[in-house]
Amino acid sequence: MAIEEAESGQQLAVPPALTSVEREAELLRHVEMEHPHALYREVLPGIIQAPADYLLAMARKSSLWPMTFGLACCAIEMMSAFMSHHDLDRFGIVPWASPRQSDVMIVAGTVTKKMAPAVKLLYEQMPNPKWVVAMGACATNGGPYTRYDRVVQGVDKLIPVDVYVPGCPPRPEALMDGFIALQEKIMRERGSIG
Amino acid sequence: MATELDRELETLDINVNVGPQHPATHGVFRMVLTVSGEKVVDAVPHIGYMHRGAEKLSEGVDYRQGLIFQDRTEYLAQFNAEMCYCQAIERLGGIEVPERAEYIRVILAELNRITSHYMFAGAFATDLGVYGTAFTYAFREREYIQAIFEAVTGDRMMYGYFRPGGVVWDVTDDFKDRVRWVCKQTRVGIDDIDRLLTKNEVFLTRSLDIGCISKDDAIDYGLSGPMLRASGLQFDLRRDEPYSIYDRFEFEIPTGTRGDVYDRYLVRMEEMRQSARIVEQAIEQMPDGPIMPEKAPRRLRLPPGEIYMRTENPRGEYGIYLVSKGGEKPYRLKIRSACLSNLTALKQMVVGHYVADAVVILGSVDIVLGEVDR
Amino acid sequence: MTSPHEGPQEAPIVPPEPGTIADTFREVLRDIEFTATQGVGDVILIIARDDVPRVLRAAKDNPRLDLKYLRCLLGVDHMDGGLEVVYQLYSFTRRHGVTIKTRLPLDDSRVASAASIWKGADWLERETAEMFGITFEGHPNPVPLLLPEDMTDHHPLRKDNPFAQVEEWQGLRLGDEASKVGHIPAGYESIAGEGGEEDGG
Repeated sequence: MAIEEAESGQQLAVPPALTSVEREAELLRHVEMEHPHALYREVLPGIIQAPADYLLAMARKSSLWPMTFGLACCAIEMMSAFMSHHDLDRFGIVPWASPRQSDVMIVAGTVTKKMAPAVKLLYEQMPNPKWVVAMGACATNGGPYTRYDRVVQGVDKLIPVDVYVPGCPPRPEALMDGFIALQEKIMRERGSIG
Repeated sequence: MATELDRELETLDINVNVGPQHPATHGVFRMVLTVSGEKVVDAVPHIGYMHRGAEKLSEGVDYRQGLIFQDRTEYLAQFNAEMCYCQAIERLGGIEVPERAEYIRVILAELNRITSHYMFAGAFATDLGVYGTAFTYAFREREYIQAIFEAVTGDRMMYGYFRPGGVVWDVTDDFKDRVRWVCKQTRVGIDDIDRLLTKNEVFLTRSLDIGCISKDDAIDYGLSGPMLRASGLQFDLRRDEPYSIYDRFEFEIPTGTRGDVYDRYLVRMEEMRQSARIVEQAIEQMPDGPIMPEKAPRRLRLPPGEIYMRTENPRGEYGIYLVSKGGEKPYRLKIRSACLSNLTALKQMVVGHYVADAVVILGSVDIVLGEVDR
Repeated sequence: MTSPHEGPQEAPIVPPEPGTIADTFREVLRDIEFTATQGVGDVILIIARDDVPRVLRAAKDNPRLDLKYLRCLLGVDHMDGGLEVVYQLYSFTRRHGVTIKTRLPLDDSRVASAASIWKGADWLERETAEMFGITFEGHPNPVPLLLPEDMTDHHPLRKDNPFAQVEEWQGLRLGDEASKVGHIPAGYESIAGEGGEEDGG
């Protein structure tokens, strides 16, 4: 609702005694019809009108299904982020175990050289469009274990990474911030993938 | 088992690969099960996907820096691992820990045991098919306790709060009230999960007499902790080889009889209640005072010698074998992992059961891959 | 970076008080030479490499010792002093424990396997073998446990195995564009600098 108010440039005074439905109807009556990004039309409420790449990007970013790839300690904070205290489900993010039906791969934890072929295989099994979030210091550059020669110093040596979330482990709020950054990135890249 | 049908059909045993990425969120563990029909004939666990070299890296940093590797090795019971490390250094170096620091350590370690067993309850119930209810309850209760940890140490998970000699800073002013509240709340939370699972008929069918291991086998394999106690041996390091100030508290040690999955679950549930009891006693007895010894040296050097320090972690006996040859860095730091020893018995427990039971048995071992692979 | 030990010193041998488990071992196995020292907490017995199978078998089977619980099995690299294998044992019935150590020369690092005595020794010996290069003779399944199968040529826990060098972050190779922060969290706009993100709608 705030978008129409800002873009149409009108000051709308809404009396507080109205219920929410009545307030919405009141606002709908003042929406400019010629605006290219008008989200509600008076005649048929509930219809979104926007360019196709906007719609596709909005759909993709609002329903990111991560493949649960919790490797180590960051997996516990990832699970905390999915649970009720820091609910990620309200962003449309539902953890999904199978790579074939997921969009995002959250690499949460250290990647060792023994695990590296599995990481690559799982990334290749995901269908396009796909993104990768490197969660934690270990997935970014090896973290506290970077001086051991059986540890891959960062998952970006194996697969392309879109968002790096620093921390050891990053708080669930930091992971949420990482997802919001990924959503902004998806909107920025609209039209350029698939 | 050769039935009429088996003798007429020619069957083939197939290998089912479980992992290293699978939804039962125990980490990167791989099991290759050879199944004949639905019954498991052979099980070969493959580990090492999380081998990050904590032992090697600890040799390159000094004693205070090496604490971070202990947190990340046992990432669900961090305070217990830190306690073992600090006690090893203190015993070898003859460092005395002030009283208040000992009480703070015990309180935080026991609360951490409670959070670790909550995680077990949630993950174990998910393996059994409860699919999230117990998991959500468990994480809600964990958040209450983690809020106290965050207020005291500043971090939700990797605390790094203990130091050889004491703890790094004092607790908050409302610590006692919050801990008392959380002890009461935890009993409510344990009862929630208890009511959901313990007398549930499906739960009983799926866990009674599954994955049994006898007491003699358990001792031979080197099992410890709840797995050993569920098989009938009443042995708890907090009572039988007491460290820190555990000899001042009264608590019971739950022991099972059959050594199956259900007994392990019951033992862990009861241990949570006993931990809450220890915390309540400790919080009443906690004195005021310093939290680090007055003459804490700027550079910590240990005399040459060796020590095997063992503590009772939620998963079993966590040990640190520390070899010091003088100097500020350990010469050899070996982490005796409870979960690794518990996993050696996996093949014997799983063979003869169905594939679905194999997942349940693995869940009942309660592994933490960071500790198995270090 | 190798770990600098300025003058590593060995702990002195302190003979234990009479009446400890060292005396029981000497009575049970009269012809084996034990060097006993009182460590911090446990008695440590140092034996020769060839006596290991007899001592461990007697430790488990003899009813006066009854050390049926193998707590820990590890290796230590003493550089020129050779490799060392340490066994930590405990008895639940007698409530006593002991540490048994044996040294192996660097060029001949073999020792008898304890996997036939305690079932738990199986995996612990596999790990010690791959970390130090010790051969446990008689082990039923000597494959690597923790290391990847194609990386077993050098042994990580030996002192001459160095730490890895920190490799550069790939972002640096991609130039300035990639090292810019893409997303500024709310409240941190002051660190954005020039060329911040464009409005994403």
